[in-house]
Amino acid sequence: MCQQWQRPQSVEKRLFSVSAAMAEKKYTEDHEWIELSEDGKTCISTYAAKALGDVVYVELPEVGLEVSEGDTIGAVESVKSASDILTPVAGTVSEVNSALEEKPSALNKDPEGESWIAKMNVEQEPAGVLMSKEEYAKFTEDD
Amino acid sequence: MVAPSRGLLSVFRNSTPYQNGASFARRALSCSSFSEMLADPAHKVQSYLSQSRDPYLNLSIEDYILRTSPADSTVLMLYVNRPCVVIGRNQNPWSEVNLAILRSKQQQQHTLGDVHLVRRRSGGGTVFHDEGNLNWSITCPRSQFTRDAHAEMVVRALRKLGVDRARVNERHDIVLDQGPRRAGVHSDGDTHQTPYTVADQEGPRPLKVSGSAYKLTSARALHHATTLLASPNLPLISHYLRSPAKSAIQAKGVESVSSPVSNIGLDVELFQTRLQEEFAAVHASAGQCPSVQMVGEEHLNIPAIRKGYEELRTEDWMWSQTPQFTLSLQPYLDLEISVRHGAIEKLDGDSSMMEEWRSILVGQKLQHVRDWNAFLRSRMRTWTNECAVLANHLAVNLPVPELSIEN
Repeated sequence: MCQQWQRPQSVEKRLFSVSAAMAEKKYTEDHEWIELSEDGKTCISTYAAKALGDVVYVELPEVGLEVSEGDTIGAVESVKSASDILTPVAGTVSEVNSALEEKPSALNKDPEGESWIAKMNVEQEPAGVLMSKEEYAKFTEDD
Repeated sequence: MVAPSRGLLSVFRNSTPYQNGASFARRALSCSSFSEMLADPAHKVQSYLSQSRDPYLNLSIEDYILRTSPADSTVLMLYVNRPCVVIGRNQNPWSEVNLAILRSKQQQQHTLGDVHLVRRRSGGGTVFHDEGNLNWSITCPRSQFTRDAHAEMVVRALRKLGVDRARVNERHDIVLDQGPRRAGVHSDGDTHQTPYTVADQEGPRPLKVSGSAYKLTSARALHHATTLLASPNLPLISHYLRSPAKSAIQAKGVESVSSPVSNIGLDVELFQTRLQEEFAAVHASAGQCPSVQMVGEEHLNIPAIRKGYEELRTEDWMWSQTPQFTLSLQPYLDLEISVRHGAIEKLDGDSSMMEEWRSILVGQKLQHVRDWNAFLRSRMRTWTNECAVLANHLAVNLPVPELSIEN
């Protein structure tokens, strides 16, 4: 039953219960955000997308990829620059936003909405610092 | 009109002055000294010179610097690679590179013998390196990063050596202006124009001498670039960077923008020293003037560098990292081949052989096929003229040369 131990199989088994409080978007010091909700959508912040400039390519992770907190789950190229996208949480990639493959520039337009890069099955409470929208706004002002 | 360097070229063709230079007499730091020095928070400004010409190693040392140097430090590394073609992280080797001539054993016409193919970790387009080309790499805090700052420093270094046509262009490259000198115009401190600058289409095109690429992490930014000083291989570069598959391939990812290039016409070591001085001078205000430290082959014993080095040399990194693309065999066959993660994903089109081709080709990783003709012949139940056409076009458009493993 090794398989079962490795992969939480259903929503019910997740550590995170779906509640209004958890659906809140959280931000990392690496400028990624995640919705700790049923979806577990994640991407880079608007602040980070602006700093990158025009995105010309988005490399998406493969569905089923198991990652630890801080691992690379994707990459972006903008104006000759390659940058990795890190996952704020450990878990499994459950879905990727293939629309970004066809239209990478969408990442500049709505990085905190339509242009999420992946959905994560969150398996563990993140150990790193997660900030609320207000805290993150303060963090980027000080940066 | 191009290279003010004809004289130098003839000298460089017959010798390797860089290798014989005085700097090579110096010993590289030990692994532990390098790691400790690099990570020491007191070392805000650091300057390294690589003794290795291995492109995989130099890129891996750079990456180690990016990931290990203190968050508020600025680090310069200079290196020269043996002849190689380096593609950007998100590029397609089949559409960017003339792969068929990379591994030519003898020096045939228009080839150099063994030329390495490398996929780097930074973005941007495809470049050719050889011993007449100095590569510079500067890692600095992300908060101080701009795409032009370091190129501007390099332009100042070039101008101090008399290269007054050099400037940074709108693509963050360094070019040499080719217009007539305008009297009374002085560029002074402006690194984005020269007395020879002319508006687009109103005069000769500037010639590119240095291209830029970047790798960004949340706290740090690496900017590296080539500087074409005295390459004896200029006429060959376009031969290496022109792929026969270019028009047949529709690729996601990043396409190179080709530009006319030139040598600057400076001795590699002379420029290397000037650049180290310029770097030290710019950052002297930080209260430190770094001495230049040597790095090289021995640093492969640092586990993180070894890991990066092995990764860059894998077939997966070279071929499977390629963004999704399609190869169209029109007008020869009504067939479109879609490739994702380096494996054939689907075939579209119309042919009586389609079912059999699908069963053989879908799922096949390109990197496992060295000879398309033999591959197809050994698997097809019947061999038709269409099969021969397919085999020939796959051989021309999707060759997978062996990556050189030996050093």
